[in-house]
Parts: sequence; C-alpha cells; structure tokens
Amino acid sequence: MSVVNPPPPASAPSDYPPARPALLAERPLWHRVLFNQQTFLTVLLVAEIAVFSIIGTNFFTGYNALEIARQNVELGLLALALTPVIVTGGIDLSVGSLLGLCAILFGKFSRDAHFPLWFAAICTLGVGAMAGGLNAILITALRIPPLIVTLGTYSLFGGLAEGITRGTDVFDFSTRASFVFWGQGYFFGIIPAQVPILLFVAIAFWLMLHRTTIGRALIAIGFSPEGAHYAGIPVAARLSLVYILSGLMSGLAAVIYVAHVGQAKANAGTGYELLAITAVVLGGTSIFGGRGTVLGTMLGLFAIAVLQNGLMLADQPVELAKIIGGVMLIVAITGNQLLAKWAKV
Amino acid sequence: MNSAVLNPVRLPPRHGWLHRYKRKLSVLTAYLALLLLLAVGAPRFYSSNEFKSILVNNASVLVLAVGMSLVILCRQIDISVGSQLSICGIVAGLAVRHGLPMPVAAILCILAGAMMGAINGVLIAFVNLPSIVVTLATMVILRESLRWGRSGEFVQGLPKGFQWFGFSQDAGQWVIVGLAVVVFTIFAWAMRNLSAGRTVYATGSDHEAARLAGIRPRYVTFVVFTIMGALCGLAALLNVVRFPSVDPKSGEGIEMQVIASVVVGGIAISGGRGSLIGTLVGVLLLGTIRPALPFLGSEAYWDKALQGLIILLAVASDALYERKKKQP
Repeated sequence: MSVVNPPPPASAPSDYPPARPALLAERPLWHRVLFNQQTFLTVLLVAEIAVFSIIGTNFFTGYNALEIARQNVELGLLALALTPVIVTGGIDLSVGSLLGLCAILFGKFSRDAHFPLWFAAICTLGVGAMAGGLNAILITALRIPPLIVTLGTYSLFGGLAEGITRGTDVFDFSTRASFVFWGQGYFFGIIPAQVPILLFVAIAFWLMLHRTTIGRALIAIGFSPEGAHYAGIPVAARLSLVYILSGLMSGLAAVIYVAHVGQAKANAGTGYELLAITAVVLGGTSIFGGRGTVLGTMLGLFAIAVLQNGLMLADQPVELAKIIGGVMLIVAITGNQLLAKWAKV
Repeated sequence: MNSAVLNPVRLPPRHGWLHRYKRKLSVLTAYLALLLLLAVGAPRFYSSNEFKSILVNNASVLVLAVGMSLVILCRQIDISVGSQLSICGIVAGLAVRHGLPMPVAAILCILAGAMMGAINGVLIAFVNLPSIVVTLATMVILRESLRWGRSGEFVQGLPKGFQWFGFSQDAGQWVIVGLAVVVFTIFAWAMRNLSAGRTVYATGSDHEAARLAGIRPRYVTFVVFTIMGALCGLAALLNVVRFPSVDPKSGEGIEMQVIASVVVGGIAISGGRGSLIGTLVGVLLLGTIRPALPFLGSEAYWDKALQGLIILLAVASDALYERKKKQP
C-alpha cells in the first residue's frame, strides 16, 4: 500500500494532517481523465457504435442517429430530472406513473374540457409541477424518506390515471397535425422536432447543476444534509426545487409522449422510472448522493439507447438488449466502486 | 463544561403494550373498520366465499412480505422479488411436467429462489453495492431472461398432482393458507426470540455497532437476501398451484405491493425498527381493498390509487407523530 501524504519528518509537529483521499481538483489531469466513469462510457459508446456499424443493417446513418435521439426524448427528460434528485441523495420512483397521469389529464383537458392545445399543455405542466410539489412537501416538511414517499405517489398517480380512464379510455390525438408535429415531425426535414427540446433542457440542467450556487448546494446536500444546513444552505427549499422540477419534467415528457405516439393511455410511461434511474446511475451519479453529472446521464442514456437500437437492427431479440443493460448497470457500479478505491491510491 | 454532563443520556421511557403496538393497532383498526363497513354496506361480501379467496390469493404475498420485512429491517430493499417469483413458478411447473414428483419440484423451486437471492446477497453484502441498484438490475435481467427463454409461453399439460398439491380444491386452499401462516409464525417468533433474529435488527440499526458487538453484518445481510430468495420460491409454489397452468408473468409488479404492505405495517425503511405482526396486518389491509371495492359500489380501477393513499397516510401519520413527540 502506498500512502497519500509523505511520511512526516522526524521533527514533524504532532498535528500533521492525517492521510485523506486527494480531492478531485487536486489530482493530476491524466488521473482525472483516466479514473472517470464518463471516459469509460464514451469508450463503451464508441465500441457499441463500431460493433453495430459492422453487424447492424443501416445502423451507421445520420437518419438512424437522429431516430435514436427521437425514441429517447421522453426517457431523457426523466433521466435529466432524476440527476439532481439522485445527486441530493434522494430518489423519485413516481416519474413514470406521473407521466401516465399527465398524459391522461392532457387528454382530458383538450378533449373533454375543450381547452386549446397550448393551454392544455400548460395545464399539464402545472399538474406535473404540483404533483412534484406533493412529493416535495412530504419529503421536506414531514421528513419521510424519498423512497417511501415516491413509492406511495407511484401507486397514487398510476392509480389515479387508471381510475380516471377506467383502465380503457384512450385519447386520440393523431388527427391534430400541428400538435403531432412535435412528436413526429422534422425541422428542416431532418431534425426530429422534439430533439431540440431535449437539448435545451439538458443545457438548462447542466447550467443549474454545474454552473450555479444552487447546483453546488445540491451536491453539498447529497454529501451531508446536516452539514449543508449548518453551512447556511436552505435545504428544504433546494430539495423542494428538485422534486418540483422532476414533476415538471414528467409533465413535459407526457406532452411529448402524446405527440410522439399520437394517443394518451393510462399505462404510458410504465417502467420508465427504472429505465431513467438506470441511465442516471450508469452515468456515474452516486445513488448515495453528492456526486453526479448531467453529461454522464446523457452518456448513460445513449449507451442504453444505442445498444437497444443496434441489437434491433442486427436482428437480435429486444430482451437481449435489456439483459445487457442490466448487466452493464451492475458492472458500472462495481467499476465505480473499484475506481473510487483506486483513485485514493 | 462537557456537553454530556449538561445533557445526560436519557433512555427512552418504558411504555406499556398499548404504546408498543400503537402502530399495529391503528392499522388493525383501519382493517377492522373496512370489514365493519363491508358488513354493514355489503353483507354479500361475507356470504360469497370472497373472504376465503382473499386469504388464498394473499398467502403468497404474506410469504413474500415476511422475507421483505427481514430485508427492510436489515436496512436494504429488494425489488427483484417479482421476477424471482415468476422464474420460480416456471421452474416448479417445468420440473413437474418433466415427471419429477411434487416434493422434489417444490425443493427445486425453493432452491432456485435461494440461489437468485444469494446472487443478490453476494453483490450487496460482499461487493458492497447499494441494494436498490443491484435488485433493480437483477429484476430486469431475470425478467428479460425469462421472456427470452419462454417467449411468454404458459407451462401447460401439468399432471393432476400439481394443482392444489393434488388435494381437492377446498383442502388445497386451506393447505396454502396454512403453509403461509406456519411460515409467518416461525419467522415472527424467531425474529423476536432467537439471537439470529436479533442480529438482523442490530445490523439494520447500525452496521458498525453490530460489527463491534461481534455480529458479522455482511454475513447477516447475505443470509437475509438468501432467505428472501428461498421465500420467493415458496411463495411461487403457493401462487402457481392455484391454477392448472403456470403463468410466466405471475410475479410482475408484485414487488411494489409487497413493499407497500411491509411499510404500512410499520416497519421503518431506515432499518432496525418494526415487527412482523404489523406486516401481517398490512398484507391483510392492502389485500382486502381490491376485492372489497366492487362490493362498496366503487370501481375496482381505483384500488391502486387507494393503495397509494394508504401508504402515504400511514407514513405521514408516523412522521407527524414523531414530530409531536420531539416537541417539548
């Protein structure tokens, strides 16, 4: 075993600082680049693309790249929203069922309440934010663990969506051409309409998490909520913000989902929460909080998305992609654990 | 001056049984209120054999919830139980169809579960990975492997000795309920009275303190996950023998109901607090709502929303009570 600090000289004062792992910023550049999950994800992504370019038909085309992006906008929005949540050491299991509930309410607003579509969309975003606010109140005011709160709201939101539609009602939007454009149309004949939205949201989240004091506060809360509190950070307000944002993004994802699929059903978004968490954790965000990046989440998302698309184009079963995704998740966190250990040396 | 002198350590006051079982009693009261409401509003509920079928349908949920209680007491979580349940059911069905006698098939089924649980256990206890991520991954891996291997095909053409373990329907139903109750009683007793049970509480309360007290917390965690897997095998058995063929999707989504039952029963997600009696009441309460809704003139579609509401009410009342206690 080597030691971080050189051994104290014989005449060292007794309060010589104890050995501690070097902070990220203190490590040399090559060390930071090499012992970094994002580097590995990038390598993985390049490897995936190389392999599928050979074995997949029509994989390595610009059209397919944009199509992969289109298929994953909803999931990407949820994963982006979950990144700050998980960075604070929390979790939000309710995003998938909230997507379903918001999709249903969007249908209700526009078909049964005859709201114009833009107004229905705004109301849907409002409902999403309010649902996120419910999570936030239970987590911050009552101090219930986020896992339990969002497990409860997972059932509640999903159940409300089922109850409102009686399990069968489907809202059809496929005739509203100007609206469906946002899920199926193209800008300049090539860029899928919803992809710039994802890009915009990703940049916004990147700015918030990595370039504002709010982001620093979220990371501090993830390390130690108590410590953050004593450092003068308004912990409850910051936590509320991330859960409300998470609800808002579920609402946005719901509107895009409806435009993409052309209809709204209660089971929209089922299982998305787990896929989104997979993307975030694969991207190097620590499930215990305090560490995570937006770039990592996007890389994690596309590592899964390219794998699924590539295996599909190579005529492999869909299940195989999901199995490999699961194995990748375990390998990634094991590797993460080992990297953290080695980085201390 | 030393702060320990100013604030001497206060032991929690000793409370009577009424206080100790407060949470269980309040859930039990809710359950009894539901039963009373049914008795007044829809007496048909009791005459139509509905009550017995609730017990039979929830026997496997109870067995799973016993395992999940152990896992949560250990301050972990397992969301792969649904996938494990499906796989174990298929294993039992295939074993019987290949001519193995029922007891051998049962043992194989439980062993398959224990093996899957042990894989979770190794990754969580010895590789030191967070349980929510590991079981999330194994849930997907197991579920998709099953879909890949079986393409959603039912196991059919099972011999007569399979359904209801070869008994008549009536006797078979009681055997299922009886087995679940026996498992529950053994674990409830052991968690309270055996040192093995107390080590689970110790590990969940404080990993490091448990280690200093001579317990091996990693080993305890590993064993708890293996037990969870074995109980998945048993629950799968109790689940599939109700039907003449085995559904490969029998366990999908059951993990949330199981975790919800445990949480409503008062076991703290932060580990080390709660008891199995509460789990029993939680399973009964959540298991009765769905079949009871149509009798109360509501549509069955609302049951999931109601389940969510009950979870939130249970944990919110806990939190409010804790806060009131802290204020002078």
